[in-house]
Amino acid sequence: MLEYTLLAGLLFGLYFSLVGLGLNLTFGVMRIVNLAHGDFLMLGAFAAFWLFNLAGVVPLVSVFLILAAFALVGLPLYYLFVPRLLTAKDPEMLSIILFFGLSQVIEALTTIAFGTSERSIPGNVLGSGPVRLLGQSFPAAWVVSGIASGLAVLGIYLYLYQTRLGYLTRAVMVHREEALATGIDVHRVSAIAFGIGLALAATAGVFAPFMLGSVTPAMGVDINITSFAVIVVGSLGNPLGTVLGGIVYGISLMFMQSYFSSWANLLPYLLLIFILLVRPSGLLGRQVRRA
Amino acid sequence: MVRSLICGVLIGSFVAITCSARAADAPSEIKLGTLYASSGNFASISMPVHYGLKLWADAKNAEGGVFVKAFNKKIPLKLVEYDDQSNTATAATLYNQLITQDKVDILISDSGSVLTSVAVPIARDHKMLLIDQTGTGATFFTKDNPYIALMSDPVSSIWPKYIADFLTKDGPALGIKRIAILYSTNDFTGTQANAVRAFIKESKAPVDIVYDQGVPTNTTSYTVLINNIGATNPDAVVELGYPNNDISFLRNLQDGGIRFKWLFAIYPGLETELLEKNVGVKGLEHVFTYVPSSVIEYKPEVGLSLADFRAAWEKKYADAKVEFGFNSVAGYTTGLVLESALAVATSLDQLELRKAIFSLSGKLKTLDGTFELDDTGAQIGEITPLGQIESDGKGGVKFVVVYPHEVATGKPIYPAM
Repeated sequence: MLEYTLLAGLLFGLYFSLVGLGLNLTFGVMRIVNLAHGDFLMLGAFAAFWLFNLAGVVPLVSVFLILAAFALVGLPLYYLFVPRLLTAKDPEMLSIILFFGLSQVIEALTTIAFGTSERSIPGNVLGSGPVRLLGQSFPAAWVVSGIASGLAVLGIYLYLYQTRLGYLTRAVMVHREEALATGIDVHRVSAIAFGIGLALAATAGVFAPFMLGSVTPAMGVDINITSFAVIVVGSLGNPLGTVLGGIVYGISLMFMQSYFSSWANLLPYLLLIFILLVRPSGLLGRQVRRA
Repeated sequence: MVRSLICGVLIGSFVAITCSARAADAPSEIKLGTLYASSGNFASISMPVHYGLKLWADAKNAEGGVFVKAFNKKIPLKLVEYDDQSNTATAATLYNQLITQDKVDILISDSGSVLTSVAVPIARDHKMLLIDQTGTGATFFTKDNPYIALMSDPVSSIWPKYIADFLTKDGPALGIKRIAILYSTNDFTGTQANAVRAFIKESKAPVDIVYDQGVPTNTTSYTVLINNIGATNPDAVVELGYPNNDISFLRNLQDGGIRFKWLFAIYPGLETELLEKNVGVKGLEHVFTYVPSSVIEYKPEVGLSLADFRAAWEKKYADAKVEFGFNSVAGYTTGLVLESALAVATSLDQLELRKAIFSLSGKLKTLDGTFELDDTGAQIGEITPLGQIESDGKGGVKFVVVYPHEVATGKPIYPAM
């Protein structure tokens, strides 16, 4: 039981690393809080549902289409919202209000388009039957989602640390004004990061029907709360911290379900309170982000 | 002779004046105040109920309104409706608004126990009769509160009786000795879990409860819980949740390649179409569930038959964004009970309405079965039999009623492996 709980927590945590990654990248680069992050994830889920049901496109194919589409959508959205926000006195606070409004609009439009009921994609499209992992049996969809999350994390790592654009992105993350002073096209770098953030959210959305059972237009709020817990635990603005935060969240949730199941929904809040009291900068702290 | 004539004229005039005065006092519309959840955790059980109620109200208005005995005429209905977004705090504010600002004549709660729970004390404080559509939490119904009546769904404390009876009476002969209970911690499923537990213990049957855990209603991942249940080696598993819980549980079960020998879940029966879309026929096969009025053809004495109601539903809501199911019948049943009560109530006074509704108890037969209340306002009619879902061989599902024996249509498949 212990091994199963631990491994399930790891897989679930890897998925939540992907869920939080886009939010953290956006915050790290732009210092804005995208409260519509969960809604973009939901849109990714509905896009996958729609592509599967209407065109028979399986999620392992649709994920690439959705990733590209949301990355492209992110660019104009950035130029529409973010530069104006960044000229304000308190862009973080204003971003919360603006993206909260956007979140409401997205949820309402999706409800009009798809209705309020739960929607999902059959689990066997990601592999039939359970998969054995270290002697334990898990749904194939969980393993595939875990692998996809791992690849996405690796992709972000390679982007940030192995590409020129990644270096520039990290420079903006460290100090936006200094980056601007050195001639970096901060808006271009930020727009790409914003697009990647949305693409990551939508990618997580493709796997949401498998990891969360079903999706509804209203799921964004719960996703946002969990995402915030994950990135605060890891450390705000640090993508690697998000991976750690996700795994801590996943394993803690599975242990809560096993031993204190009635209280499991308190976990994101308990983690937030604990980490803010003990290590406000998150598990990986500032040093790693600034490295 | 002249005296008799004068008396006759005077009496006639009095009757005419009284009648015209009553007609003049009649409101131009009967205001029905209600809430619905267009988003959030309870949207999928709220919207069908709300649409069912709307269908009834629109049909009545198309006929010129509903007959109100207190004014001896048909009066149009006006639905004053607000969206509580599945949020209890919002719902509490809106219930207050319906009573104090909109001054509705009749207060109708949102669907489900969670969103009804906040309405119970508010209605009582304002001395408004709460027309409780599907809030079955047993704690809502007490002898000292005359301001509530449950329209549809049996109260949760008796609803699962047939599950427990089957497990304790037929179960041991089938080899069922170890029972696991997993429930969502809310008024609806929490009360049902308490009832199952109590019925099993009271029966003194040779069965043990080997797993008994509650999980939050917003739980979306059941893989570890299923593994933990499996580790207790149960002969029967009772999973009590809302649609989102049942969908996640059944999908995790299917994706994990696990089958319990006997499994009960609520919503494969109550919202079959929704569950079929999300879980698939294979995932529902052999699952035990309630066999609701959306499947059984009760002979209604008031309102549409099940087939006619379904046809009306599909015509009105052709976009199929809200699935037809037990909850849609429940909303329509609320309308039928109100219609029947207004036809006998001598005023719109709240306690007179209560009296009128209680006068229907045991007599009113709708497509939902026989409407019957106990003295606290809890629904004790309309108890749903226990059934098992099987494939119909045409890509859909069918229900086999297995308990009670007098209404059974087949034998249970056990073990369902």
